[in-house]
Amino acid sequence: MPIAETAHEAQGQANEEFRPKILAFCCNWCTYAGADLAGLNRMNYPADVKVLRVPCSGRVNPQHVLRALQDGCDGVLVCGCHPGDCHYSTGNYYAKRRMMVFKRLLEFEGLPPERFQIRWISGSEAGKFRDTIVQVTDDIKKLGPMAADEPSQAVVAALRAKEGEL
Amino acid sequence: MNDATQIVRERATALLADGTVAAVVGWAAGRGDHDRHVFVARTPEEAALLVADQYCGALAAKRVLSLLDEGKIALVARGCESRAVNRFMADRQLKRDQVHVIGWPCPGMLDPATGDALKRCTECQRRNPVLSDEVVGDPVPEPELDRFAELERFEQKTPEERRAFFQDMYESCIRCYACRNACPCCTCRVCFVDQERVGWMGEEFTADQARYYGTVRAFHTGDRCIECGECQRVCPQHLPLMLLMHKQVRDIDGLFGPYPGGGMEPEGPDPLRTYHTDDLEEFM
Repeated sequence: MPIAETAHEAQGQANEEFRPKILAFCCNWCTYAGADLAGLNRMNYPADVKVLRVPCSGRVNPQHVLRALQDGCDGVLVCGCHPGDCHYSTGNYYAKRRMMVFKRLLEFEGLPPERFQIRWISGSEAGKFRDTIVQVTDDIKKLGPMAADEPSQAVVAALRAKEGEL
Repeated sequence: MNDATQIVRERATALLADGTVAAVVGWAAGRGDHDRHVFVARTPEEAALLVADQYCGALAAKRVLSLLDEGKIALVARGCESRAVNRFMADRQLKRDQVHVIGWPCPGMLDPATGDALKRCTECQRRNPVLSDEVVGDPVPEPELDRFAELERFEQKTPEERRAFFQDMYESCIRCYACRNACPCCTCRVCFVDQERVGWMGEEFTADQARYYGTVRAFHTGDRCIECGECQRVCPQHLPLMLLMHKQVRDIDGLFGPYPGGGMEPEGPDPLRTYHTDDLEEFM
């Protein structure tokens, strides 16, 4: 069992309940403000999400997403301003195209779609921020940890048996 | 000696003799019967060694970039090489007046070992050069092939099977970076895998690191890929790398299209380097 890093995780381990690690990239101008507002309004949402503030959703290099999933996160959420509302005018339009293609590429390689999600959340949408976090956490809890995605021995054996055929 | 070889040699000799170009990039015969390698001819005598037949499997275009200091370079270009030249120009690696394109309508290449058509030629969209200063021989009919056939077959698999397949694939990757070195789209001066201080790539040699390299390399070139299939041809482990490229090209065509594929035009923003305000919305 991995060593618990936070009190929450220690509690989770004690209860034998799976507490996912979710990384949320939040753009400074919209989603981070939305998260702030959710806090001001004393909204409750799961503490499994680690918020990482970035200047813009366009700053999120798709490499960061893959690296996060490989280095122990069970899910990644990328959030930004609604298209048209970007503080830098165009950053989230680029992010949108990039993430649409990259998400499909990861899913093609077998990643469950719930593990990598993208949402537009504005600075006034505290409720949407909370709902998104709740929903994403639920999704990841259903899937279990990343290790649960390992293909079963039967599938690997079947693949090996017809080696050479695609 | 076939016609194309004859004409290529004549034209290369003429271009080198009158000083139009400093070098001609093409192919020459190696030791084996059907062994061909990329060859740079700098003198009329060397030009007599050039070969243009059905065994010239390698993509010659990237060689031009390392020769630009020597002056104007001539390139024997099939469909794929000419698309690579367009790619270089769009990526600001090359100016049009730095290269003299000897267009060669491609007959389709054969694998020297088996005699079958090369896989990259069975998925070819464009055999005639998309740009040229002169053309050797008559235009050939364009192939009518479904280049996504293999991808569609692969997509029938369940996510778990695909996961197992790619796990297997990345376990066999030896990370020699041949795919990157051969790729005409990979022209960064310092590749992300070589940025030691930033540390994108880890030191350890695992399937995870190979997946990181493979996926990110594919994504970096995804919206510019000219679908020459050179990455897959040079892979010593015979990994099906074009699956990842075809997947992205087809997605881009479906999402932001119509998109004919990279390198068809000499200019113009690549799909992931531009946007439309009315792009499809799926992240609401």
